[in-house]
Amino acid sequence: MIGTGVKKGTAELAILSVLEDRPLHGYELSRRIEAQTKGSLSFSLAALYPMLYRMEQRRWIRGTWETSSNGRRRRCYRLTPQGKKKLQPLRAEWLELFSALQRLTKVSNV
Amino acid sequence: MYDWRLLVQQRLAGLLIEGGGAAQIVEELAGHLEESYQSLLRDGLSEEAAARRALERVNDWQDLKRKLESSRNKETILNKRVSQFWFPAFLTLALSMVLLAVIQIFGPTPWVGPMPGGRLRMTPVAAVYVSWLIFLPFIGALAAYLSRRAGGRTLALFFSVVFPVFPYVAFFVIGLPLALILDDKVAHNITLPAFFVGLSAWVIFPAMALLAGGWPVHYFASRRLDAGQGSGS
Repeated sequence: MIGTGVKKGTAELAILSVLEDRPLHGYELSRRIEAQTKGSLSFSLAALYPMLYRMEQRRWIRGTWETSSNGRRRRCYRLTPQGKKKLQPLRAEWLELFSALQRLTKVSNV
Repeated sequence: MYDWRLLVQQRLAGLLIEGGGAAQIVEELAGHLEESYQSLLRDGLSEEAAARRALERVNDWQDLKRKLESSRNKETILNKRVSQFWFPAFLTLALSMVLLAVIQIFGPTPWVGPMPGGRLRMTPVAAVYVSWLIFLPFIGALAAYLSRRAGGRTLALFFSVVFPVFPYVAFFVIGLPLALILDDKVAHNITLPAFFVGLSAWVIFPAMALLAGGWPVHYFASRRLDAGQGSGS
């Protein structure tokens, strides 16, 4: 199980990576992250939405209200060009960190 | 059937977001919980169990509220403290001091009245003091308005309203007892009733006068805010 501090640091990367595929609303986003990480990363509402709003203020993502087929209004988030630019160095940083940890701990398949 | 919007609205009551975004946040979070609940129902859980599991996504509503406010409002915590407390507090203090000085210089002249026995009675302090007390509710109302406009909560608003009495509190609670102990030039014949008269005159009555102006502003502003949130969602 991944610790809280690391989770916090990886949350931005997780959100940006998932939104790179397609725009998603908050619930879908958290489900997808949880499913793709096999439950290692899961967001409470207090972690997800403040982070989404902060990323929106930094203009990495943009949220727009959309009405689904059943008439429910949902806020859909999509990656902005700035967010795409941010994703590449973030990925590189984390890859470097994980490679370093892998070398350090001599654990394969980290 | 759960009313998720009402539930979120109640749990996040008083959420202060710049530009009136609180209603949208309530709608978004309610939508999240609703979808989570529906998904759990589809998984075969009972309504009660599904609602309980959906709500487990929020451990602490107050923590969520704080995080939402800090993420959506651009101001830093320090700026918030300045605008919600320090600025109204020091403005109130300065205004009350200036007002006291102005009344002393330009205000009513001391009352001079005859007393039985042909002596004259002068009450210069009362003339200045009562005039000052009459104007304090307006200063209290201004402090409450400024603090509330900046998003100040009840505690910040209360202390910014009564801030002008703090120097007197410090004097009566710390300064005077210390002076009585350490300074032999201070009259040591101050009686306990005189001490409480002074405390009432310069702390309790001014605080009440300030609150008499500040509290109605807080009350009506809170009602307006609640009404706005109710109609906005």
